[in-house]
Amino acid sequence: MTDNILETKGLTVTFGGLNANDSVNLNVPRGKFVGLIGPNGAGKTTFIDAITGYVPMSAGTATFAGEDIGSLKPHERAERGLVRTFQSLELFEDLSVRDNLLVAAYPTKWYSFILDMLYMTPKDQETEDRVNWALDIMGLTDEADAMPTDLPHGRRKLVGVARALAAKPDLILLDEPAAGLDTAESQKLGQHLREFLDHDMSVFLIDHDMGLVLSVCDYIYVLDFGEIIAEGTPAEVREDPAVKAAYLGAEAGDVQAAAAEAVVGAQSSGGE
Amino acid sequence: MEAFIAAVIAGIGAGGVYAILAVGIVVAFRGSGVINFAHGAVAAYAAYNFDEIREPGRGNIYLPWVDPIPEWGVLQKLRLNNLPVRIHIMEDPPTWLAVFVSLAMAAFIGALMHFLVFRPLRNAPTLAKVIGSVGVFIYLGAVALKNFSNSNRNDAGWWGFDSTSDPYVIPFTDKTMPGSNLWLAGSALVVGGVLYLFFRYSRFGIATRAADENEKGAALLGYSPQLLAGLNWVLSSVLAGIAGIVFLHKTNPSQISLLVVFALAAALIGNLTSVVGATFGGLALGMIASGGVDFFQRDFWGEGVKEWLPADGIRQFVPLIAIIIVLYTRGGKLPVRGSISVGRQPQAPATNNATVGTLGLIGIGLLVSNIFVSKWESALTTSLIFMLFMFSLVVLVGYLGQISLAQWSLGGVAAWTTARLAADGMKIREFDFFANGGPNWPLLLAAIAGVVAAVVVGLLVGLPALRIRGVQLAVVTLAAVVAIEKLVLRNTGLMGEGAASTNPMPVLTIFGSNFGGFNENSNQTDNWKFTVFLIFMVAIVGVLVVNLRRGRIGRRFLAVRANERAAAAAGINVSQTKLLGFGISSAIAGIAGVMFAFKLSQLTSENFAPLIGLGLLAFVYLGGITTVTGAVFGGLLVAGGLNGEILHLHFDGVDQSAINIAGGLLLVVNAIMTNGEGISLVNATAGKEILHGLRRDPIPPDFPSGTETSTADSTVADSLEGAVV
Repeated sequence: MTDNILETKGLTVTFGGLNANDSVNLNVPRGKFVGLIGPNGAGKTTFIDAITGYVPMSAGTATFAGEDIGSLKPHERAERGLVRTFQSLELFEDLSVRDNLLVAAYPTKWYSFILDMLYMTPKDQETEDRVNWALDIMGLTDEADAMPTDLPHGRRKLVGVARALAAKPDLILLDEPAAGLDTAESQKLGQHLREFLDHDMSVFLIDHDMGLVLSVCDYIYVLDFGEIIAEGTPAEVREDPAVKAAYLGAEAGDVQAAAAEAVVGAQSSGGE
Repeated sequence: MEAFIAAVIAGIGAGGVYAILAVGIVVAFRGSGVINFAHGAVAAYAAYNFDEIREPGRGNIYLPWVDPIPEWGVLQKLRLNNLPVRIHIMEDPPTWLAVFVSLAMAAFIGALMHFLVFRPLRNAPTLAKVIGSVGVFIYLGAVALKNFSNSNRNDAGWWGFDSTSDPYVIPFTDKTMPGSNLWLAGSALVVGGVLYLFFRYSRFGIATRAADENEKGAALLGYSPQLLAGLNWVLSSVLAGIAGIVFLHKTNPSQISLLVVFALAAALIGNLTSVVGATFGGLALGMIASGGVDFFQRDFWGEGVKEWLPADGIRQFVPLIAIIIVLYTRGGKLPVRGSISVGRQPQAPATNNATVGTLGLIGIGLLVSNIFVSKWESALTTSLIFMLFMFSLVVLVGYLGQISLAQWSLGGVAAWTTARLAADGMKIREFDFFANGGPNWPLLLAAIAGVVAAVVVGLLVGLPALRIRGVQLAVVTLAAVVAIEKLVLRNTGLMGEGAASTNPMPVLTIFGSNFGGFNENSNQTDNWKFTVFLIFMVAIVGVLVVNLRRGRIGRRFLAVRANERAAAAAGINVSQTKLLGFGISSAIAGIAGVMFAFKLSQLTSENFAPLIGLGLLAFVYLGGITTVTGAVFGGLLVAGGLNGEILHLHFDGVDQSAINIAGGLLLVVNAIMTNGEGISLVNATAGKEILHGLRRDPIPPDFPSGTETSTADSTVADSLEGAVV
């Protein structure tokens, strides 16, 4: 039990009577790569929003590294090592790429401004190294001094991931990092993602790109209508009939599945 | 109890005026999405004209500008035709004509505001829109001052009431109120009702509501959103004019522009979109304010409370509290997913090496101070003090992106606290008007306490910022400005006898030598030691602010400014960071306020009047609000500063109100043209381009813009270049 870095029990998020997440039980073992897949509007981003404190949980518990985090504020969860990325870019557009990372990398106290204003802040080599490593692993070293707005969309996406890495996470939550990347970029990203595990962190990934998720994850949960409908290793999930029905409905050629997908489509336009 | 109820009911008079003003703000907001801080100034300008045309023996109206071609010096010899300003209508006109002419003037101002200010700013970020309307506020105020002068006026207003005529017995009580109160409340209900029906059933109203909800959709249906916006601006301004001229019997036109605080509060109660909500909100605020004043003036509070809570202070506290409650209950600690971003902020580059610039400016400062000793000393110290003050706005508005209009009032809090704590009930100088009572603290200790007081009040002003953002925060802080003025600066219970008129300030003495602004030998504020002292203060605080920007906290400020959601994800405590910014900024503002007190040696609350604070924001925005260099430019530009002194020297007799007029105008232009990057950054960019041009390098494409627009821009630029070649 204790080797799970993240555990949710019965996590439920309700938006105006609709359960966007319904009793989700999900574990991320320490040092493992866990994925969450599901069709559009299944409630994947809502799940990340809930465990990082961006939307309130209606019921259930979330435990991070043995601590109940349900009442913590977003920045307190980030300080404890639970760091997320955003599906939309959400970068600091007035700061250079390197500064975007430095913001997240340097911890401060409320009185840090005194040392700052006197220009006596000691340079923390460990933090600088970490930032350089994050830039390097995301292939952004050459663009470190550029402004995010000057980069193409795909590169900006990587800045978001690099910023999360710079924050020294114990668990990094990646919200569709491959969305908007072309196939080559996506494959390259996939190669790097496994490297994260070598740097004392666990990874939780949600993405549309089935190929990416199936190729990098150790364990996969499948979400549909806010509920976990299947879980297992990539091989098990690939063969699961419920997953096929929900996610690959058209391929299954099943009338019921097609109907389900239509409902999913309607839900995604209204729910998220 | 009966008297209290009577007081509440009597509040419908003022409440009616707040309601009409609030409805005008709602109309402008619906038409253009702008919260117009200048709405009260428009009302005041119409009221001034109404009064002026009825003034015996005059019968003139004044167009909303001044003649820019002076009638003196070199320019006079050029014999240029002057711009017409004054139009003679007729002496002793009938009331309907006076009403018509002043409302036409309001309509004209509304059209000008649309075409010259808010239409060009329609896609600008929030800060630029706020600054645009603040610019109009300053401009109209300064123009009115110049055209109408600030003499006391007594006009009976549209209906010819005076403030006591026709006493009306309030039902169920034996108290009376002026009968005009009923008329005011009644006209608010009529205006509100007519506009409600108009927006609900007329084609124009329906089209406006459609465009408000979906601009593109309305455009597709054949309505021009810009035409609708323009017409709504005219309608809004006419409503402002009506409010101004029906209230004249109770107030001087110069007091009308700040009624905008009540009007904004009422409009916010109506969620900025509901005419009915704004009408009843205005009436309710009037009644609450009137009842509140009565409540706190009761005998059962004892003398202490009565003395500490002046009636005006309670009155002005009502809109502040109302605004905070309304906005606080509607705002979230973090903006929700997908909420609209505020648009691109002006760049705030870090300065990595400030040594040369700092030493250079210290050198220039000392040189100016010692060469032109008595002539420029006073102007130089004014500029230096305001530079110091503007650093506080660079931190808070430039770096952290929190639009506060209240910082100069915090300078006032610091100055007055210092004067009060250092006073001992003796006259400091023979010519002091008042001997202020106080505990006779040592001056340094009193000054530190003053700065601490500014920080405490500044943090209180900053608390709403935890949930309230952008232009709405600006509304809160404007309400705070007026509340601070009435509740602190003019509060004799709190600040001693001096608060009523002038507050003497002890002389700044360092090692037994006079370092204050006042020079006993020349009887003027030209003590060179004070100048030197200030130069080093400005240099030190300036370097501290530069360091703040390039350090960890500065990065965090910019991160919060750019994106609060992402900042929280990066582990930043957004609330704490905002309060830290308010604290640092308020401390700097407090230091500047104390310096201002040292310079003047006798303070009046006029020194910290609301319009002065807005003017300072204007000039630092003009200089460049995101950089320390910008604050230095801004300090040079202010009225009474070095720039004014140089103009004065060369154009014999240019007056300082002209500088405010130009300031207001330039502010608008700057908001439109440079997105608030101001003189410092625009010059830096231009300098870079010139250098590149000299070296025949191609200009690097480092113009910040979104990728989508930049590609579009470059193709346009390319085709233009092709056309030119």
